[in-house]
Amino acid sequence: MTQDVEMKDHQTPPHSVSSAVPSTLHHLKEIASLIETGSYTKEVRRIVRAVRLTFGLRRKLTAPVLSAFLDFALQPGSEALARLSSFLPKEDEHEMEVDTATSAVQTSGKHLLPELEIYCYLLVLLYLIDQKKYNEAKACSSASVNRLKSLNRRTLDVLASRLYFYYSYSYELTGDFAEIRGNLLALHRIATLHHDELGQETLLNLLLRNYLHYNLYDQAEKLRSKAPRFEAHSNQQFCRYLFYLGKIRTIQLEYTDAKESLLQAARKAPVAARGFRIQCNKWAILVRLLLGEIPERTMFMQKGMEKALRPYFELTNAVRIGDLELFRTVAEKFASTFSTDKTHNLIVRLRHNVIRTGLRNISISYSRISLADVAEKLRLNSKTPVADAESIVAKAIRDGAIDATLDHANGWMVSKETGDIYSTNEPQIAFHSRIAFCLNMHNEAVRALRFPPNTHKEKESAEKRRERQQQEQELAKHIAEEDDDDF
Amino acid sequence: MDPQLTEVSQLFERFKAAFIRNDYDSCANLLSQLKVLLTKFRSLPPLFENTPNAINELLLAREIYEHAVVLSVKIEDQDAFERDFFQLKPYYTDAGSRLPPSPQEYPILGLNLLRLLVQNRIAEFHTELELLSATALENPCIKHAVELEQSFMEGAYNRVLSARQTAPHETYVYFMDLLAKTVRDEIAGCSEKAYDYLSIDDARQMLLFSFDQELLEYIKEEHPEWEVKNGFVFLQKAKESAPCKEIPSLQLINQTLSYARELERIV
Repeated sequence: MTQDVEMKDHQTPPHSVSSAVPSTLHHLKEIASLIETGSYTKEVRRIVRAVRLTFGLRRKLTAPVLSAFLDFALQPGSEALARLSSFLPKEDEHEMEVDTATSAVQTSGKHLLPELEIYCYLLVLLYLIDQKKYNEAKACSSASVNRLKSLNRRTLDVLASRLYFYYSYSYELTGDFAEIRGNLLALHRIATLHHDELGQETLLNLLLRNYLHYNLYDQAEKLRSKAPRFEAHSNQQFCRYLFYLGKIRTIQLEYTDAKESLLQAARKAPVAARGFRIQCNKWAILVRLLLGEIPERTMFMQKGMEKALRPYFELTNAVRIGDLELFRTVAEKFASTFSTDKTHNLIVRLRHNVIRTGLRNISISYSRISLADVAEKLRLNSKTPVADAESIVAKAIRDGAIDATLDHANGWMVSKETGDIYSTNEPQIAFHSRIAFCLNMHNEAVRALRFPPNTHKEKESAEKRRERQQQEQELAKHIAEEDDDDF
Repeated sequence: MDPQLTEVSQLFERFKAAFIRNDYDSCANLLSQLKVLLTKFRSLPPLFENTPNAINELLLAREIYEHAVVLSVKIEDQDAFERDFFQLKPYYTDAGSRLPPSPQEYPILGLNLLRLLVQNRIAEFHTELELLSATALENPCIKHAVELEQSFMEGAYNRVLSARQTAPHETYVYFMDLLAKTVRDEIAGCSEKAYDYLSIDDARQMLLFSFDQELLEYIKEEHPEWEVKNGFVFLQKAKESAPCKEIPSLQLINQTLSYARELERIV
């Protein structure tokens, strides 16, 4: 499960390390000013940009850079500065002093922005997690979340959602995931009351992840079905949501819906998020197998996934051939992989599909076969193979898996001739569902074309507006005159 | 010792005595008194307060609810079973780390799985199954239920029925009997599709009746469309005609019109 964290932006540009210290600090300062303007003008997109830029710098964060930046951004002697500095290892970096002294003078005059303070928390937290100091990260994130609870500003939402994520992540890494569940629920409630949709989205995913970590599918589904839903704000969060949804539905045997969610999640996920896509694909493969479909070979040959999907490939092979013996050996061979993936129980469910496929193959190849032979071919390990085979075949017939009849007196199965499919309405229905899919796709695409609100109005200058209003008035006059003419 | 705790444990002793005597009426009576008394303990779920007697109280409450579950099986009350089981569950999941494991835990969890199977709540069955650890799955009580579900899904009904003899716990028999009824309905449903006709003898054996009379009554009640004639049961009177001769014009018109409308929107 931890792989899915790798969804973070990984496109760190390879800069030269020699000039890293001054340039990183410089970049950080630029980002800080970006946040400041964003906060004053109440423009969330500037803050989004600041966060994005930060993740580019992530690999270059070091303790001296951070402490220099903290001195720059936070008021000297403030509580936040003292608390955050305590998380950083002390190092003497005299060359930085000149720089910090001048900048401290600049900032001391103005009032500290909460956005900047929270941003500092985020930076320190990132650094601590990258340095694998998880216990400090836990303390730092808890402090930041406590601070966040007392703030209510829309410009903070973006930063807050990132902080929530790392808060949960740091607890997950130390294995105290269950501890923060109550806190996350409280935060989700706060976010809902503040109409902070990004926060809600993030927190809902964190909660689902938390529940699923402990296999609490029941609770997860109850929360998911009752939490407010709205259009997704962040693609990454939406991917995660789809993945969790797919997992829940798989467990609850709603395979068709599960397949849709999982495939969508795998497709929407960014290319860099390989671990996440592997997870999605694993589950999607299993769900498709459970549905009686055989995934295409290309699914297993995706770049960088061949090795991880190997066990699932062999499993698929066993199901495709319908060989119970082979299925059993594969399941045993990769038992440890399956249990770490938490898919063991799903594989147990697959046994029944293997029998079905085997039966279908038999039914296609033979027009009449004795039940004893069926039992032998399926390699049912039981004391009464013929009676078992008979009832298994009977159930397969009822479920529509094979088209055949049984003759109890003679003890054989008679396959029906496969009829001409084009004499039925089947092709028509298939054709219709495809057309409906394409049309729906088009409509969705049109609806997805989003324009930022008010962009056309911004361009309109005062002069133009006057012109437009004048035109409108003239038009109204014309219409009024025309009306008069009529009478 | 805390007076409240003493009171509850004394009452519980009386309950257990009645339980052994199979005096279920007084059991139910005492149980409702016990449940009321349990609400006064602040260490129990959902409060989980850390009182000095917490461990003793939790242990006692757990045992009471375990008995309540078993009692509900004995008086064959499935709703009560569900209620009591959900009250018991937090003691295994949330308080499990603080208490010594209960010998009753796996039999009761297995019993619950069986109940979900009997009530055909397969989704919940699998949700519960996910909560169990690998060691739990190895336990005979749990394994029994899991294997039953598998045989049930495959259609190996003989195995489901023979599992009754290997029931790991006396309380399982009640649900196994219920399951036998479900299985009979399933077999009837499958046979209907799979066979054209069956001799009365075969049908009786297949549907697990001892006498022809029972079979005929069952057919009359559950499947009046089956025909009994000349010592045979005809399961499918008329075969549905596969190829479709008629053109479903109304449907086609509707579909075409909707395409036209959608295309117009695109152009």
